[in-house]
Formats: sequence, structure tokens, C-alpha cells
Amino acid sequence: MKQRLKIILATGLLLMAGIFTAAQAADLVVWHAYRGAEKTAFEKVAKLYEIKKGIKVTTLAIPYDAYADKITASVPRGKGPDVFIYAQDRLGGWIESGKTVEPIGFYIDDATMKQFLPGMMDAMTYKGTVYGLPINYKSITLIYNKALVKTPPKTSAELVKLAKSLTNADSGRYGLAYWYTNFYFHAALMNAFGGKVFDKDGKLVLNSPQTIASIKQMMKWYKTDGIMPTEPSETLVSSMFNEGKAAIVFNGPWFIGEISPSVNFGLAVLPTIDEAGGKPMRPWLTIEGAYVSASSGQKESAYDFAKFLTSEEAGLILSLEGRQLHTNSAIYKDKRVMNDVVLKAFHDQLNSAEPMPNRAEMTMVWSPVTTAMNKVVKGNATPEVALKEATGTIQDSITALRKGR
Amino acid sequence: MNLAEHLKRSAVLGLGFSMLLSLVLGTWMFRAEENDLRLQQRQRLAVLRANALVLAVADTDAAATRSRVQEMQELNPQIESVIIVAGTQLLASTRAEDGAPRALKREEKPLYDLSNLIRTARETNRGEEVVRKKTVQIEETTRGHLVVTLPYLSGGEYAGILQMKFNTAGADTLGDKADSIALPLWMLLAALLAGTFLRLHPEKKIDLSKLIAIGVFLLIALLYQQQRIERLEQIEVQDNQSVAADYLALAQQYDRLGILSLARDPASVNRWDTDQYQRPLGLIGADGRISTEGQARQFAKRAGLFKPILWAINLLTAAVLLMFIYGYAARGYAAFRKNIDAYIYVAPAMIGMLVLVFFPFAYGIALSFTDTTLYNESLPFQDRLIGFENFRHILGDFNVYQHTPDGISWNYQNFYWTLMVTVMWTVTNVTIGVSVGFLLAMALNTDGLRGKAVYRVLLILPWAIPNYITALVWRGMFHPQFGVINQVLQMFGMEPVAWFDGVFSAFFTGVATNGWLSFPFMMVVILGALQSIPKDMYEAAEVEGASRWQRLRFITLPLLKPTLIPAIVLSVVWTFNMFNIIFLVSGGEPGGANEILVTKAYKIAFENYQYAYAAAYSTVIFMILLVYGFFQTRITKATESF
Repeated sequence: MKQRLKIILATGLLLMAGIFTAAQAADLVVWHAYRGAEKTAFEKVAKLYEIKKGIKVTTLAIPYDAYADKITASVPRGKGPDVFIYAQDRLGGWIESGKTVEPIGFYIDDATMKQFLPGMMDAMTYKGTVYGLPINYKSITLIYNKALVKTPPKTSAELVKLAKSLTNADSGRYGLAYWYTNFYFHAALMNAFGGKVFDKDGKLVLNSPQTIASIKQMMKWYKTDGIMPTEPSETLVSSMFNEGKAAIVFNGPWFIGEISPSVNFGLAVLPTIDEAGGKPMRPWLTIEGAYVSASSGQKESAYDFAKFLTSEEAGLILSLEGRQLHTNSAIYKDKRVMNDVVLKAFHDQLNSAEPMPNRAEMTMVWSPVTTAMNKVVKGNATPEVALKEATGTIQDSITALRKGR
Repeated sequence: MNLAEHLKRSAVLGLGFSMLLSLVLGTWMFRAEENDLRLQQRQRLAVLRANALVLAVADTDAAATRSRVQEMQELNPQIESVIIVAGTQLLASTRAEDGAPRALKREEKPLYDLSNLIRTARETNRGEEVVRKKTVQIEETTRGHLVVTLPYLSGGEYAGILQMKFNTAGADTLGDKADSIALPLWMLLAALLAGTFLRLHPEKKIDLSKLIAIGVFLLIALLYQQQRIERLEQIEVQDNQSVAADYLALAQQYDRLGILSLARDPASVNRWDTDQYQRPLGLIGADGRISTEGQARQFAKRAGLFKPILWAINLLTAAVLLMFIYGYAARGYAAFRKNIDAYIYVAPAMIGMLVLVFFPFAYGIALSFTDTTLYNESLPFQDRLIGFENFRHILGDFNVYQHTPDGISWNYQNFYWTLMVTVMWTVTNVTIGVSVGFLLAMALNTDGLRGKAVYRVLLILPWAIPNYITALVWRGMFHPQFGVINQVLQMFGMEPVAWFDGVFSAFFTGVATNGWLSFPFMMVVILGALQSIPKDMYEAAEVEGASRWQRLRFITLPLLKPTLIPAIVLSVVWTFNMFNIIFLVSGGEPGGANEILVTKAYKIAFENYQYAYAAAYSTVIFMILLVYGFFQTRITKATESF
């Protein structure tokens, strides 16, 4: 009896071991957080790779809320995917905590480097080392209601003039609406004035005359010109635009799906700012990259798949079917892409845009700066005082994090 | 007297058990410390040479570097091989088969990555003006064989990495391990012997034999630990001596051959003997002399780490001893024998609890004694230990308010402010929940009320809807310009309120939302209790001429108490940690003033990445609730009714 039990146990163990090794050997496991059309297009690309290279690619869609934590928890412990896709904002944190993202600078060749749109590789580079290949980008741009705006404004003076004529605060109509108290949206103005969050060494340089000037510019639009609603939020902006109460909004590609079919909208590049010497508004770019997992057992093939995702062939599928703004510059020569109003408009905006910092410290910036912006908007503090206070809080958090050993 | 009876009376089991535990734990800890010291010693010897190599080739060109490295490796057979990597190039190698210089091969990617890692570490330390990244990487492949990688500098600038393979065979100063087993065995024997002669009286509180048992235990345990500490100190001194001798021999040899000059000035710093951040350790001078202050400092630092562990061991084992000599162990064992089936049945649940509840809990508490952040979580645990520093920082910061020309300005980031808000939040919400729930339950309990079922379903509805959605709906309703509440206010000619701007109005938004969410639970609980009160009590009271109020005061309330108290205790704990409402409705606005303790802990952990500080915060929250629960049950004797 005991003997038989032992045999059963042993065969069971052998079988299990066999299954595990077989599953590990050939398949590439890829994690992403796509849904809907993006997911379908992504899976199509994976299938295409499988047909071309004969390596099976298993894609797994993870709910976005749980995604980053799942990577943080599993990859450093030797589990998880071979390739995963995420925006650059978590990259710095993963690199600093280690054993998560594999550096790929050694694999990357010049031809691959050159195929990308400008600025894309910067988001994938942390302290001079390349950690990922950029796949797609997002930024905000100017979206207007064609029924109210004939020609979109090119400069801030034109914007204010147009918006004033379309504003009627009593009936809740405004010429311009965007989430101006949110630092992500405000960054477009800040960058126009040349403000920065970190210098190249990672020192916090947010409290600068340029940033203050950009907040004052925002206050001018809100208070002096009175062309924007109070207490903006994502839902407020979209409901106002859909009801025809906001003529112009600054928003990103995610907003397009929220526009009601009754609104005939157009897209244009964000205006230049006369007060900043005619410099254009430069929104932040969020760039999604494909990263090779540090615990992958087949890093070379993982890199090869990531590289395939950035190719022209994959790019066309991802942008035309998945509605993504792909990073490969070659696809913007394709007629089908250039005839697509939305894809073309965001590609145009790319000429004046810059990648959002990928440092981990960035998460400490959002909340204090947003608090400061709210204070300024509500008249509880001057831009100088509010920003000084915010940078103090941020600097404290950063110092606590970068503790010496 | 049989053996069992004898064992019950003598102290042999107690002393033996606790002594064994103390010795095993102590030996285990000291063994770990000793191994760590030995590893450190091997690493120092390796880093010493690696630093010397880098210093020797700092100002030479590629060809000279190659020959210099070759020369130094041949001088010192313990250095097995040296390679220098610059970018994607293998610049130099002492192994002929490597064929340096050449480009790195595909399988040599780790070298390229390592070189980037070290460059980044150097740049980060300089750029942030804080030393937090190791610029020297050490790996022990097999015991005694170390691979040391450190920055290769050319003209003071980073130019690549130098990797040295080093064999430290025979470097151990104290190799014998025999007495580390024999001594504790003798001590255990002594304890057992003492135990057999002591007669115990478990029923007495204090007697001579108990005192002697405790005395013997402490004497042996402390003696042993003292002996071990002295041994550690001795190893440390010998290590320093051998490193110093090694350094001096090497330095003199290099000096003689003109590779590197030996600094004879005693004041200059030894740049060979460094830590992994390339900071001089300060234990050995440039002239090879050992610094006694440095040595004392080094040992005090080590003792600071292991002394608390020793204390924990002593407390634990003393508790075991007390358990035995007061008879708890015997009684516990008897109970276990008697109810063994019951223990087997609950075992799966116990294991589940252990893995899912107690382990994370213990991990959180352990974490709160470190300074773990996102940036240093990969360091070994003992390097991150800082003791009670986090708690001191949280509880010892009384900077709650400041006097400014405009009056008092509150510091919303302070713990005590947040605690006050949390307490106010809890008290207000529970009061609202209980009173509204009570009123509605009384109304629903009216005899002959028509449509009772419909009312009940409607009133439970707020509870049935996910609170995530409710919170977002309320947040929308409080919108200053477009929210329904301000619209209604304006309809009646009032000024709209900017709800999230003021501390009190933002607090109110949370209370309103949570009040809406919390009354159904209380209502259901109270309704159930009301229906279980026998009707004849009221009838009897009515016959006696009791008024409505008297009936409520003397029948309803006392009979509700056993149900209400546990419900309130539960509700207090829930509300105290009501994360969703605060996070989703006001988000702690304005400026973090309305943050409660849990939302604050969340922000510290996931926005500021100070994991350990957040763990300490959570531990404090737990302690507060523990104390609260303890007193609550004490005062109300709520447990009696179960």
C-alpha cells in the first residue's frame, strides 16, 4: 500500500515537473492592460509574430488598477511575464528598487534607435541607460467644437479673444475648459515658459520664476479674462464639451471616445503663448514602453518581440486598428494614417511636446502641486507662496526617500 | 514517586527547555554574526586590492593599464584574474584566452549592464549629494572566491569598470568552531543538573526554589552571551590586525616597485580600505596603524544591532521558564492532550490564519523598525534596521500649530492633527449612524405600519450600493458650480458653498456621505433587537402606568444594550479605518487637513514610497484600536452578554 502511494506521488511530481518545464521552454508571456480595440490589435500583432518567428506568444490582459502592483510583487521574485508594457511613469521606481526591468542598451542597434519619433527614447532612458522600447505615446492637444469655432486659435491672444466672445458665465458657457488645476494639464503651460520639475541630476527645480510665470498665465485666463469655469475636473470638462457649453478643451486621445456623436469636433495644435515670447505650449508625453522582465529566462527573444512591437508592420496594425499613436516614424508616411484626423492631429502636436519625467520622485510632485494650484485658484495664496510651500513638502519627501547610507 | 510526578515537581524540564532555547537561539545569532564578520573580512581584503588596482591605473593610457594590471596580478597570486570593461569594449584582461582588447560578446551582456549600474550609482551619489548607491559590487561565487567590481577611472573621470576575481583561501583568523558547540553543551548540562535538585511548588506565588531557578537561568544565559560577545570583539580585533598587516605588506611592495607610493604621513586617509560606497572605513591609517577609536566605533555599531536581538531572546526564554515553573506548561499540555481532536479540526483554519493574517501582520511590524523605502528595499534587512526611529518621529513631533501674525496656523501634516480629525470623524459618524438608525428602526417597528417591507428595502438600499459608487455620486453632488447641493442652495437664494475649500465644510462632505452609508447597518441591527423584545413587557409596564419615555428608558434601551454595544464597537473600528469615503470624496482636501490616519498611511506608502514609515503609521493605528477595544470591553463588559 505504502509502496503504491509512493509510486503515485512520484509520477505525479514528475508529471508536474514536466508540465512546468514544457510551459517555460518556448512560450513568451506578455502582460498588458489593454481592452477593446487596443487589445484586439495587440493580440493580432502577437499572432503575427508567432507566424513569422515560430515562437508562441501568450498575451495576458491585466486590469489596469492592479497591473503595476502585480509587476512590483511578482517580477523581483522571479515570476511574471517575459515582456510587459507600461507607461514611463513607473519606470524609475522599478529601476531603483531593482530586479524588475532588464537594461536593453546592449541589444539595441542604431537602426532601431533611429526608427522612433523624436523624444521617445528619452522616456525609456533612465540615468543614461536604456530600459525599454517605446510603443505609443499620448499627449493633450486642442480639441474644439466646430459649431462654435470656425478656425482654431494659433496664439494665446487669438485664444483669449475668441474665448471671450464665446463665454457667458451666467448661462454656464465658457470659451475654454481644461483641468487647469491638475498639474499634468498645467505642465503644457509650464513647459512653454521653460519651467522644469527636475534638473538633469535629479534636483528639484520646480520653484522657478518660469513656473510661477506659467501659474500667473493660467490665473490670467481664469480670473482676468474669465474664460474658464471654476473647479474643473475630467467629468466636468467632458460634460461641458458634450453639452456645447465649452467651445475649446485641452485634452488627450482618451477624450475622443467620450465626445458625444452630436458634437462635430476638430483638433488642432495647442496655441503659442505670447507672454512666453511666442513659445508653443508643450504638453507632457506619456509614453508606453515594452520592457524585458529582469526575471525572464529568455531575454533575447523577449527583446526581439519588443522590437517587433515597434516595427512599421506592427505599428500600422496598432495605430489603424488599435487607435494608438505609434512611435515608429515610418507609419506617419502611410496615407491611411495621415488621412485619419485624430492620429494626424496628435502627431502634429508631437513637434512641441516633451516626455514626462520618469523618475520615481514624480509621484510626490502631483499632490502638493495640485494643492498649491487649488490654493492659488481660490485666492488663498499667491503663486510664489503656494509654490514655495509645495516644493518644501516635495523636497522633504524626496530627502526622506534619498536617504544616505 | 513515579517519573511523571517527579517531573512535575522538579525544575529540570523548565530549566532545560528554556536554557536549550536560549542557547540555540543565542548560538544561532552569534554564529550568524561571526559568519558575517568573516565575510566582511574577506570582502575587505578583496576591496583593498581592487581599490589599489584602480588607483594604480588611474592616470595611465590603455596599453600601460594593460601591462600594469598584468604585473600586479602576477605579483599577487591570490588575484585570480582582472578585466577592465569600457562601454561595449573589453579593454584589458589578464587571461590570455580572452584576447583583449575586443568587443564584448553577446553572452557578456551582464558585464555591460554592471558597468552601467556602477556608472549610474556614481553619478547618482554625486548628483543628489547623498551617498546611497553602492559603487563597489561584491559577489561571493563559492566560499572564499570573491568577484569585486568597481569604477575604473581615467584622469579622474569614470571610464568603465574593473572586475577582479579574488581567492581569499586561508584568510580566516579564527577558524576553529569546536568550542562554539562544547561550551553551550556544558552550560545546558549545568542547568539540567541544577534543575533536578530544585523542588517546585507551582501553586505558590514566590518561593526560594523559583528564585533560584530564575537566578541559575539568568546567570548561565548572560555568562554565555558575555563570553560570545568577547569572542566577537576578539575576532574583530584580529581581523583588523590581519587586514592592516596585509595592507602594509602590499603597500610596501607596490611602493618599492614604484607602482603606487605608500603614504607615510599618519594623518592621511587610507583610500584602499573602503566600504562598498568607496568611503574610507577609518580603521586603518595610510601608514598601516590601527585606529583604536575607529575599532571601538565599529564594534559599538555592531553591538547596537545585535543587543536588541539578545534582549528579545532573553525575554522570550525567560517567559518560557516562567511558564514551566508556574505550571502553565503542564496544564497547557494536559488540555492539549484532552482536546486533541478539536485542535486537529481547527488546524487548517489556523494555518490559513497564520499565512494570511499573522505573517503579513508580523512582517508589517518588523518593517516598521526599518527605514525601508523604494530606493533601498533591495538591501539586506539588518542594514535597514533603525529601531524606534520611525515611532519617535511620528509620536514625538508636536509641531501641531504655529503662531503666525494672522493667528494660529495648523500643521495638517502632523500626526496629532490627523489623529484628532480621525477621532472627530469616528465619533461624529458613529453618533449619526446610531441615532438615525435607532429612529428609523423605531419607526419601522411600529405595529400595523403599512408597506413595512417596501420601506425596509428602500432604507437598506444605501448599504446595498457599492460605497465606491456612492462616494463618487456624493462627490459630484458637492461640486461648487454644477453640484446639486449648491444648485438647491441657489434656488433658495443662498450663496453657493465651495465645499472642498474649508476644513469644516470638507469634513462635512465626508460625514454626510458616510452617514448615508452607515445608518442602514445600525438600523438593521437595532430592528432585529427590537423585534426580539417580548411584547408582554411593554404591556406589563403600561398596566403599571409607565409613560412612553419610561418604557423606552427602562425596557427598550437596556434590552438593546447587548446588541448595540458590539455593533458600536465594530462600527467604531470600521469608521476609524474608513478609507474609501475620505479618499474618494474629499481626498483629504484642503491641503491634507481632512486626511484620516489610514489615508495618510496610504499616501506615505504609495505616493512617497516610504514603506517603513507607513508601516510604523499602521502599527500606531493598530495600537490605538487595540487600546480602544481593550477599554471598551472593560468598561461596558460587553463580552458578558455573549
